[in-house]
Amino acid sequence: MKILIVDDDRINSTILNRLLSREGHQVLSAGDGLAGVEMFASERPELVLMDIRMPLMNGYEAAKEIKRISSDRFVPVIFLTAVTDEEGLVQCIESGGDDFLTKPFNRTILQAKIEAMERIRRLHTELHSQKEQLEQHQERVQQELDISQHLFTNIVRAGSLLDAPCLRHMSVPMSQFNGDLLVASYNPAGGLHIMLGDFTGHGLSAAVGAMPLSEIFYGMTAQGYSIGDIAEEMNAKLLDIMPTRMFCAACLLEVDFRQQSLMVWNGGLPDLLLVDGQGQLQQRIPSNHLPMGIQSFTPDDRKVGIFELRNKTRIYLYSDGLTEATRSDHEMFGYERLERHFDGTIPPDKLFDTILAALEHFRGDAQQTDDISFLEIDCAKAGEELVGDRFSQARKTIPPTNWSLSFFFSPQLLQTVDPLPAIINSVMNLQSPIGHRERIYTILAELFSNALDHGLLGLDTRIKRTPEGFVRYYALREDRLAALDRGFIRLDLTHTPQFDDKQQKIGGEMHIRMEDGGPGFDHRHVHSALEGNTSHGSRGIALVRSLCTKLAYNEPGNCAEVVYRWTI
Amino acid sequence: MSGTISIARADQETTISIKGRFNFEMHSQFRAAYQEETVDKNRSRRFIIDLTGTEYIDSSALGMLLLLREEAGTNEADIEIANARPEIRKILETANFQRLFKIT
Repeated sequence: MKILIVDDDRINSTILNRLLSREGHQVLSAGDGLAGVEMFASERPELVLMDIRMPLMNGYEAAKEIKRISSDRFVPVIFLTAVTDEEGLVQCIESGGDDFLTKPFNRTILQAKIEAMERIRRLHTELHSQKEQLEQHQERVQQELDISQHLFTNIVRAGSLLDAPCLRHMSVPMSQFNGDLLVASYNPAGGLHIMLGDFTGHGLSAAVGAMPLSEIFYGMTAQGYSIGDIAEEMNAKLLDIMPTRMFCAACLLEVDFRQQSLMVWNGGLPDLLLVDGQGQLQQRIPSNHLPMGIQSFTPDDRKVGIFELRNKTRIYLYSDGLTEATRSDHEMFGYERLERHFDGTIPPDKLFDTILAALEHFRGDAQQTDDISFLEIDCAKAGEELVGDRFSQARKTIPPTNWSLSFFFSPQLLQTVDPLPAIINSVMNLQSPIGHRERIYTILAELFSNALDHGLLGLDTRIKRTPEGFVRYYALREDRLAALDRGFIRLDLTHTPQFDDKQQKIGGEMHIRMEDGGPGFDHRHVHSALEGNTSHGSRGIALVRSLCTKLAYNEPGNCAEVVYRWTI
Repeated sequence: MSGTISIARADQETTISIKGRFNFEMHSQFRAAYQEETVDKNRSRRFIIDLTGTEYIDSSALGMLLLLREEAGTNEADIEIANARPEIRKILETANFQRLFKIT
């Protein structure tokens, strides 16, 4: 160890020097306080032995100065003193001394004190470097978090239409990253897709899952996929990447302002609320699917609900962070407190702000325990974006023309792939009438699944009425499909443009013919069996009938013919 | 603040009762409560999750139930969620957990 002796008594200094040198220390000597401080600064010793009474600068002052210039490290100062009075010792400590040694020197005590100081010094150095490492680490983590947050925000918000005039939203994360995902975008058919997702937990881990979902959302929406397709893709992705105990409760909406319809896929989010022009609750749309990322989709999992919208309807969507917002006495905001706003006493255009204010007031200064998201869609303002530039760019209109296509599927093909997306994409790539995609999709999907499930596989939807039956239905479907060795499904689709009196194209007409090679099934029966059961089965043929101009089944019931008209 | 867990083991049946708040803080406790039983994959066992004294359930708790279901054999798992109060039942039903568990 490098030790500095500061003492004006040469004899003392020499004795100490010898003692310490013999122990293997490197020893430096200074003859007064001032010289000691100077030598300390230039030589950086690791320990100082300091006499008190010296010329130029006394020991107390020299110790103070040494401590001042070495504040970033620990250098023990041991006073060499003949003083035994308490006053003097107190002054030693006050001037920054760490210990004292009384003259005459005892070799053993000197050694012991130096060793003890060395141990403290080493501990100090270690602590200091650990503290530095921690600070650097913390700084690095914070920098990385800031960069990640920047990336995250840009990826998730890329091209989002959350600033559309018909939308008002609030999303408050409880930490730096939001575990709630809120995105909106127009599809090529002019429908507004909106998604709210709520991941298990919050913070970074939840946010990481949000990134692939937002990419799927924007990508598939732009390509004209239905919200059912998007939900299925997202579910598959999350199943792939997330641990079992994580999932994402989500609600996807397609708002079609022209057709005044709302399509909903709700898996695990609170009821979607539809409020009328008087500010009164008109309808609630509960979750009827499992959240995403729990198990693979069955065909029913991709089914969407279709609802009518009126001009002044407002739609409210929120994550459970809203109703579970807790005040200091652990009372929750709750459904009742939220829904009491929809009693018709609050002007509809004030609802959003009033509810936020009520939440704020309720929570007071209680700590936020979950991410909170709240969204309002005002259907009356939907048209404002329709004339905007962004919207015009977002859609591409193909003028109605003459075309037709046919598909023929053998049992072998039906067993290996689901041909439905191929059918849909072919049709959509040829003619994608604005605001009609989901309808055409729904018609084709329903006719196809009826042809397969009832026509070829002879399944009875009544089985699906109970949860046990629901599972049995799909088990039965799987078995029968695997054993299918005869029959076929044939689809013929013909599109013709429609003209007005002045020979101007005003739209088109689609003739859809779906034939299966089965013995025929009682479509009237399927129709009536499903009407009273919307929770687990499709509304099947009843739904198709409500969407199209004409629907007819032949006898014996293995061929459906549909006419669908659309206008520009 | 989190809840407490108690376990009762009968011959073929394990009952896990949760009192208080069933949230992310219960993770290791809950896992420890069933893990002994799920080690032997060949042994079939019934689980009853008794929510009589449960005041609150969050999405992490739903995640724990999914984990139990997986470790007990996914579709073969025999798990009953019993005695949930109406608010909690609503949370379970919003997540459509009746498709994965027997809720009584």
